[in-house]
Amino acid sequence: MPKRFAVIILLVILSLSLFMCAEKKMKEGPLTISVIPKGTTHAFWQSIHAGAVKAGKELGVNVLWVGPEREDNRQQQIMLVDNQVVNQVDAIVLAPSDAVALRRPVKNAVRRGVPVVIIDSGLENSAEVYASFVATDNLKGGEIAADQLAKMLHGRGRIIMLRLLEGHASTGKREKGFLSALQRYPEIEITSAEQYGGATKASAQTAAENLLLRFRDGQGNFTVDGIFCVNESTTYGMLQALRRHRLAGQVKFVGFDAAASLLDAMKKDEIDGLVVQDPFKMGFLGVKTAVDFLNGKQVQKRIDTGVVFITKADIDKPEMQDFLFPDIEKWLQ
Amino acid sequence: MVAVKRQDENPPPRLEMRGIHKRFGATIALDEVTFSILQGEVHALVGENGAGKSTLMKILSGAHTADAGEMKLDGRPYLPQSPLDGRLQGVAMIYQELSLAPHLTVEENIMLGVEPVLHGFILHKEMRETAMRAIEKFDHPELKPQVRVRELTVGAQQLVEIGRSLAIGCRVLVFDEPTSSLSQKDIQRLFEIIRSLKKQGISIIYISHFLEEVQEIADRVTVLRDSTVVGSKRTAEISTDEIVHMMVGREVADLYPRSKRKAGETVLEIKNLSGVKKPANANLALHRGEVLGICGLVGAGRTELLRIIFGLDEVKGGEIKIGIYTGAGSPLQRWQNGTGMLSENRKEEGLALNMSVADNVTLSRLQNFGPAGIVLPKKQEEATQDWIDRLDIRCRNAAQPVGDLSGGNQQKVAFARLLQHDVDVFLLDEPTRGIDVAAKAKLYAVIDELASGSGNFSSSPRAVLVVSSYLPELLGICDRIAVMARGNLSEAKPVAEVD
Amino acid sequence: MKNWNWLNKFGPLLALLLVYLFFAAFNSKMTTLPAMEAMILQTVIVAISAIGMTLVIISGGIDLSAGSIIAFGSVVVALCIVTFNLPPVVAAFCGVFAGMLCGFLNGFLITRIKLVPFIVTLGSLLLVRGLAKGFAGSMPVNAGETWLSELLATLPAGQKWQLIPPGAWLMIFLAVLVAGLLRYTKIGRHIFAIGSNEQTARLCGVAVERAKLIVYSVAGAFSGLAGLMLMSYQEQGDPTGAVGLELDVIAAVVIGGGSLSGGEGSIFGSLIGAMIMTVIRTGCQLNGWAPWVTQIVTGIVIVMAVTVDRLRHRNNHQ
Repeated sequence: MPKRFAVIILLVILSLSLFMCAEKKMKEGPLTISVIPKGTTHAFWQSIHAGAVKAGKELGVNVLWVGPEREDNRQQQIMLVDNQVVNQVDAIVLAPSDAVALRRPVKNAVRRGVPVVIIDSGLENSAEVYASFVATDNLKGGEIAADQLAKMLHGRGRIIMLRLLEGHASTGKREKGFLSALQRYPEIEITSAEQYGGATKASAQTAAENLLLRFRDGQGNFTVDGIFCVNESTTYGMLQALRRHRLAGQVKFVGFDAAASLLDAMKKDEIDGLVVQDPFKMGFLGVKTAVDFLNGKQVQKRIDTGVVFITKADIDKPEMQDFLFPDIEKWLQ
Repeated sequence: MVAVKRQDENPPPRLEMRGIHKRFGATIALDEVTFSILQGEVHALVGENGAGKSTLMKILSGAHTADAGEMKLDGRPYLPQSPLDGRLQGVAMIYQELSLAPHLTVEENIMLGVEPVLHGFILHKEMRETAMRAIEKFDHPELKPQVRVRELTVGAQQLVEIGRSLAIGCRVLVFDEPTSSLSQKDIQRLFEIIRSLKKQGISIIYISHFLEEVQEIADRVTVLRDSTVVGSKRTAEISTDEIVHMMVGREVADLYPRSKRKAGETVLEIKNLSGVKKPANANLALHRGEVLGICGLVGAGRTELLRIIFGLDEVKGGEIKIGIYTGAGSPLQRWQNGTGMLSENRKEEGLALNMSVADNVTLSRLQNFGPAGIVLPKKQEEATQDWIDRLDIRCRNAAQPVGDLSGGNQQKVAFARLLQHDVDVFLLDEPTRGIDVAAKAKLYAVIDELASGSGNFSSSPRAVLVVSSYLPELLGICDRIAVMARGNLSEAKPVAEVD
Repeated sequence: MKNWNWLNKFGPLLALLLVYLFFAAFNSKMTTLPAMEAMILQTVIVAISAIGMTLVIISGGIDLSAGSIIAFGSVVVALCIVTFNLPPVVAAFCGVFAGMLCGFLNGFLITRIKLVPFIVTLGSLLLVRGLAKGFAGSMPVNAGETWLSELLATLPAGQKWQLIPPGAWLMIFLAVLVAGLLRYTKIGRHIFAIGSNEQTARLCGVAVERAKLIVYSVAGAFSGLAGLMLMSYQEQGDPTGAVGLELDVIAAVVIGGGSLSGGEGSIFGSLIGAMIMTVIRTGCQLNGWAPWVTQIVTGIVIVMAVTVDRLRHRNNHQ
């Protein structure tokens, strides 16, 4: 028995030492860029994916799309980044799910010679580490939502806001921008801004339903005039909750992001306005910036991909078509 | 006239097994075994553990397939593909561990799998009638179709199991150790039922270690030894001793040896001891150098008495004194007081079956097997090897899981724990339940040596308290015997005065 | 018979080698040093918790609260550093101690109030998770950079002689220690006996309640330590982290030969079980396979491990 054990140990050591001697192979062929989103299920990420693929095709580089399934699984995203470094890709485009937790793996990647472009939401105190930050100005997005909602309510009323996740940088900025802009409207009261929708549409819907229940008065009347939700999943969850409570269309409702389901709801007057980012552009520019950086070109440290506020009237305008309905199918078959 | 007479002499057997051969790997489990049973006959099958009884019955039931040989049921070839197939063809097993669904009612259990249905709906009336017909003959007060099986006593549950076999029209019933957990009253009731089944022409194969029962109930007895049949005799023509001889294959010089014993000081004394339910106000004094037996029915409170003394059950009132220690104590304290207990339930309580023989023998005291606080498996195994040799425990080595051993060897392992711990007071609960004659003989000899303080196992006399349902055994090994009935313990009488 | 014994001891190791070679054959990057280091790093958290879980499972119990305790431990460590300004080493001990308290609570409810481990730890799964969120105010607690972060970070260029990061060394040291305790001490034998047959243990004078209390407390402490590692890995205490991780931990123990009915299991087996799951995940990711492929493969490996276990038992008994 000990003999056999010894043989196994020897085998393990042998194979290990063999691998340690293995040399890094010289690279040939096109560049490989990994794109790591926060999650893979929402339409927002599919647009980013499509944009990234488009950039890959146009620039002649391979794009690897790898993402965790849940947006709140920081540990899994760290592992993904580490493994892409091991995978010896040429650059990483990352949408960090946490502004702090992803710092170490990003630093590690850069130290190993894999440049990182951050998209969508930021990384704290790491500007000297990453190559560029390509994102919506989320603070501005929040402010736009606040101004538009206040305009719809003629500067007075009770408002609730549904947050997304604890410690989530991009939506955190939107929340902050929304709340600070509302300071300018003294007659608007924020009755609830402390609830989180969580990582999935289902959890967002649960949180939303509970909020709606809370703000029913004794006669069953709804006592809130305006609602703001900070991303696709919370907007969708709130929309579903409003529908089930037969309140859809009776409250002023501003959401964030443009998924097909949300645009449909807007056509039916169930949603009054959406703050729309350009995820397709974000995905495209993320990959393009990474390639530029690898090719030694000068890249900007901060690239704004822009936000727009749209209402029902804007949906059918020709100039909005490319923006709202990028040809995802075409790039993602 | 001649033809009729010939038929009387040679009626066609109900079941015939001829030239059955079975091997597992290198071991031959059955070699050319031939066995037959007539209609309305009770045929006992006896033999030591490992002789091949259970393999033979597994082949009969359809759980195993024979390598060679043929079986006929009422003259037609009988080839069961599975136990279920066997039952449907008319051969049913009644096992020691009953296979009932405890949460279902009596009638549901009886009709399980053969419920009368119409378009998928159960016909309750018909079901009840069939079930009633199956159990009414038993005339047992507890047996009502609507009662849940788990609320019945073991004896009544067994009747449900029998009823289930009758309901689907079984012609051959195999009873495997049916009485080992029954009270005396239930045993008598069972025997009556067996006799009435016999009158109805049902054939019964009866497997038991209790040879007195075999003598009482069986018409014929077949003895298996070392995978073959050593003989088949009418019970009227053979004595119990002769059966034992055939089983063991050698003369059991004296099953119950008795060396010179001398009762010394009191080592265990209980006064007015009461448990939560049983026993009530028990009094007992056990002396060094004696074997004291407690007989009585299952459920009379004998096991509870031992468990309370050993600290496994709660003391409700009264006093326990062991040596110089007074009062209730935990099992740990009891071991430290020099008392050890052998459980009646080897599999569920007595042994940790997937641990090694060495672990089981040494578990109660893991000291002196290495430097301070360290337990070296090697030392445990060395210490155990000694007991393996002295008790003749059949195992590969001390590191083998105890669950692999046969019943008799397992019991020896459980007993070895008390010897290894070197206890002074032995509390033995049914020490020979379900083990073969050779193992029994060994344990009786060890108990005698312990009490007398002579021989290999002890240099000084110890005290032994034995609980058993098997009176001949107690009469054989004890100096005094007390009777437990409904929680009340009688005064112990010398064996000579017990009849 | 000998062959089966051999498989008994080295089956999981063999499985690890097979899985590794399988993925290495697909992708040579599996064999690089950074890949090895990354895989070890990614195993440490599950593996450390699995050391404690192995004890629990051997004793015939289960601890569903492991994932929550890991999150709680990470939050406690981070809070100790940020809010109470304690030195990192004291904070680390506080995290482990907090985990131990949670484990003690489990053990107390199981032994004193005699509740089933499954139910008790199902309750504490929620309770401890809630505590973690409450303490942290539902937000990750950023601990800043201390030497604790180095426990589970890739080694800087100058320290490659250490081979693997300090957290991994700690894991190996503790595994050896606990494996030794299990095999060579009284309490170790007692834990096996309780899992194998609790009634026998009681009959033999084993202080069953005390032993279980120790087992659950130690398991809690190990999950607390895993929490420290999580905090080192993410540089923050994460109240929403390690959700469902207890299932990975239990799976590691089961792949490593642990039996959920108690009495069987080995520390090294569990470590290897954890390694196998990491290799599968990393292997799939390096090949660019989707997460659902990883889950299917891991599921198959778990079922296979249990099947092989069954077959082995059947063979031993014939």
